[in-house]
Amino acid sequence: MNALTWLTGAKPSLDAEQQARVDALGKPAALDKTPLAEQRIVVLDLETSGLDTRRDQVLSIGAVVINQGAIVLGEQFECVVQRHDLKINASILIHGLRPFDIAAGIDPSEALLSFMEFLGDSPLLAFHANFDKRMLGRALKQTLGLKLRHPFLDVAEMAPLLCPDNAPRRGSLEAWAEQFGLQVHQRHHASADAMVTAELALIMFSKARQNGLDSLQQLAEALEGYRRRKQFHP
Amino acid sequence: MADNTFAETGKSAVLQNIQGTMAFLQQFPPFTQMDMAHLAYLVEHCQLRFYAQGETILNPEDGPVEFFYIVKQGRVVGERPHAGKQPEQSTFEISTGECFPLAALIGERATRTRHLAGEDSFCLLLDKPAFRKLFSVSEQLRNFALRGVSSLLDQVNQQVQLRAAESLGEQYSLNTPLSELAMRTAVTCTAECSLRDAVRQMHEQHVGSIVVVDSAQHPLGIFTLRDLRRVIADNESLDQSIELLMTPNPFALPPSASAFDAAIAMAERHIAHICLITDQQLCGVVSERDLFSLQRVDLVHLARTLRTASKLETLIALRSDINLLVDRMLAHGASSTQITHIITLLNDQTVCRVIELTIADLGDPGVQFTWLCFGSEGRREQTLLTDQDNGIVFTADSDAAAESIRQKLLPLAQEINQRLARCGFTLCTGNIMAGNPELCLSQQQWSQRFDSFIATTTPEHLLRSSIYFDLRAVWGPAKGVKQLREALLAKIAQNTLFQRMMAENALRHRPPLGLIRDFVVARKGVEKDTLDLKIQGLTPFVDGARLLALANGVGACNTLERLRALIRKGVIDELDGAAYEEAYHFIQQTRMQQHQLQAKQNLPYSNRLDPDTLNHLDRRILRESFRQAQRLQSSLAQRYQL
Repeated sequence: MNALTWLTGAKPSLDAEQQARVDALGKPAALDKTPLAEQRIVVLDLETSGLDTRRDQVLSIGAVVINQGAIVLGEQFECVVQRHDLKINASILIHGLRPFDIAAGIDPSEALLSFMEFLGDSPLLAFHANFDKRMLGRALKQTLGLKLRHPFLDVAEMAPLLCPDNAPRRGSLEAWAEQFGLQVHQRHHASADAMVTAELALIMFSKARQNGLDSLQQLAEALEGYRRRKQFHP
Repeated sequence: MADNTFAETGKSAVLQNIQGTMAFLQQFPPFTQMDMAHLAYLVEHCQLRFYAQGETILNPEDGPVEFFYIVKQGRVVGERPHAGKQPEQSTFEISTGECFPLAALIGERATRTRHLAGEDSFCLLLDKPAFRKLFSVSEQLRNFALRGVSSLLDQVNQQVQLRAAESLGEQYSLNTPLSELAMRTAVTCTAECSLRDAVRQMHEQHVGSIVVVDSAQHPLGIFTLRDLRRVIADNESLDQSIELLMTPNPFALPPSASAFDAAIAMAERHIAHICLITDQQLCGVVSERDLFSLQRVDLVHLARTLRTASKLETLIALRSDINLLVDRMLAHGASSTQITHIITLLNDQTVCRVIELTIADLGDPGVQFTWLCFGSEGRREQTLLTDQDNGIVFTADSDAAAESIRQKLLPLAQEINQRLARCGFTLCTGNIMAGNPELCLSQQQWSQRFDSFIATTTPEHLLRSSIYFDLRAVWGPAKGVKQLREALLAKIAQNTLFQRMMAENALRHRPPLGLIRDFVVARKGVEKDTLDLKIQGLTPFVDGARLLALANGVGACNTLERLRALIRKGVIDELDGAAYEEAYHFIQQTRMQQHQLQAKQNLPYSNRLDPDTLNHLDRRILRESFRQAQRLQSSLAQRYQL
């Protein structure tokens, strides 16, 4: 898949079996009042070829599941996406994926399809979620012809709302991880970043419950209010 | 691994987060040595949970424990609910890399302790079916779970020994069997051999001893260069047969005995050669000089010099040599048990010599008496920080007779106390000394005194019994002491009230484990930031072992000997006993290293330690050791329903 197919608006090419799998994907569940301790949530991190959400590509997907209030170590998603037309640029210094790794990755449609099956109807969580939402949304559209409808919540937004007193000066994932003494096994590795994000999310859920916010719906409403307040009183 | 479950595991073990978690766990026992497939299985079956500070993780009311927990980050504290008015007390702390609640999980019961997050914490949770599976296949986990602190200490000991061996450049330690030391074939001769021929043989072979054997190579006697000096001085004929001049029935050990055994035997008996025998046959000789590194340490020589010193001044001067000796023994990797053994031996020699010299100076009182020691000296657990706890026992038919003997002995006893003080045995502030008329008693009076301690249990009596009931004869006939002890054991075995009071007493000194920090330390004053290794660390073991020994007819006085005897009698579990022993050992070792350091810096001896001065591993083991003291105390509380 490259920019050309996007410009020409060509439909992605999937084989019959893949198309059947796409069609079988369930509808995402809307955020509701399910208590946090019973909710299944998928925490996502993407490594990309750059920061341009219109041009850059998803290179690897890492996802960790929070279920029944705990991170389930046996249920993780990790894959490198195969790209043939990738230009080597400075981003390699960040994600550390060598052209060799990318070439040995999984076919994009297979990778994204597996991920969507892994995701199921669960809501998504990410750090700086807007970026991941856009990257994933575009990749799904281009590769599977699928519109991403899953609700996304942003841990980067939750953290200053729920922990205003110990917010670090820079709101990066590193800064927050350091704030709570979290160990990152390998920074800018999609899975490792997803794991730290999930750990951070567990801390946030604990704070949320202490503040009487015990479901993703309540949390989303609180975040909405927080965004509005910030808009008027930045 | 034949099992499919583990074969399956391989697939996801390559995942970054699984690997990261495995690498994290591998820093901590028992995961350090766990099979990689087992470790991967563990991680894949875990969930990671967050607990905010103060949040309860496990509650006794929750019923049987469902998970095995490993602290990934943060700190978990245990609180035992206290009956009555007392607030809950923190009983232990579990920090990063440590796991809980093993006993409850294996026992398939609820925890007895509420576990809560001491700070914001993450724990890895493994559910019971997965834990059981792992438990059945992983020997490391099994050993660790069953032995707790013991296996942790094993690892440290291995490290320490490795380091010691590296620094010595050779695999030599006090525990080396004699068979591995340079064990020379003995030079031998028959009983009829003339002295002249025997000495010629010694000269030709460059040895200091010759063993006289019969036709079956059974040692009959030994003749050494030291004997030769005596023979020459006495102007004996060189043509006599060696049989008339040898030392008969030479002391012998099997080749499996350790270098330490040999050194101690030489020091105790004032001999320089030991025959090695297997099946009654001579197979070698070990001389003082062969104990190479002990030779430098010169234990044997020191003991002999002490025992034969002709002046008090010599004894006083030799105290600094004892210091030096202990220092070198520690440097050679001697254990705290070996060192307390040596200090006790040398102190005994000093005491005996002081008594003999004092009798020589003041004149023989004309009555036979036995010099007793109590407390740590009685238990053979002395360190360099030693004060006097002693008394006298003699035989008398009546109280009147006893009084008149006492008057004869007291001036002598008081002088001995003073002289011992000059040799470095600090005068006892509680006046538990033989020069005190109340501690210079006939056997019958001692017996009455002990009975009164047991019959009416006042706090004062309890305190005294904890000192006096660890008694031992140092000088003079030992028979009376043996009889006293036997009567004591019989009395206590019958008196459960007294046992209960002693148990309460044994719970008085709590190990310094805390809620806020891992150790509870003094908050202010000169003792700020320190804890007391002796009272808070060793005393719980000493008191607990004494109580159980006295209550169960164990005559030994030494804490470790008591524990071993209690294991043999089935009073305490073998694994528990081993864990107690090693914990006791470690605290004692830490205390002694500290004393040596203080001696070097010309500081007064102190048992107070700032745990922050320890390295990470030692700190952790010290904490584990204190935890064992807590376990012993809680088992006492349970046994005596306190």
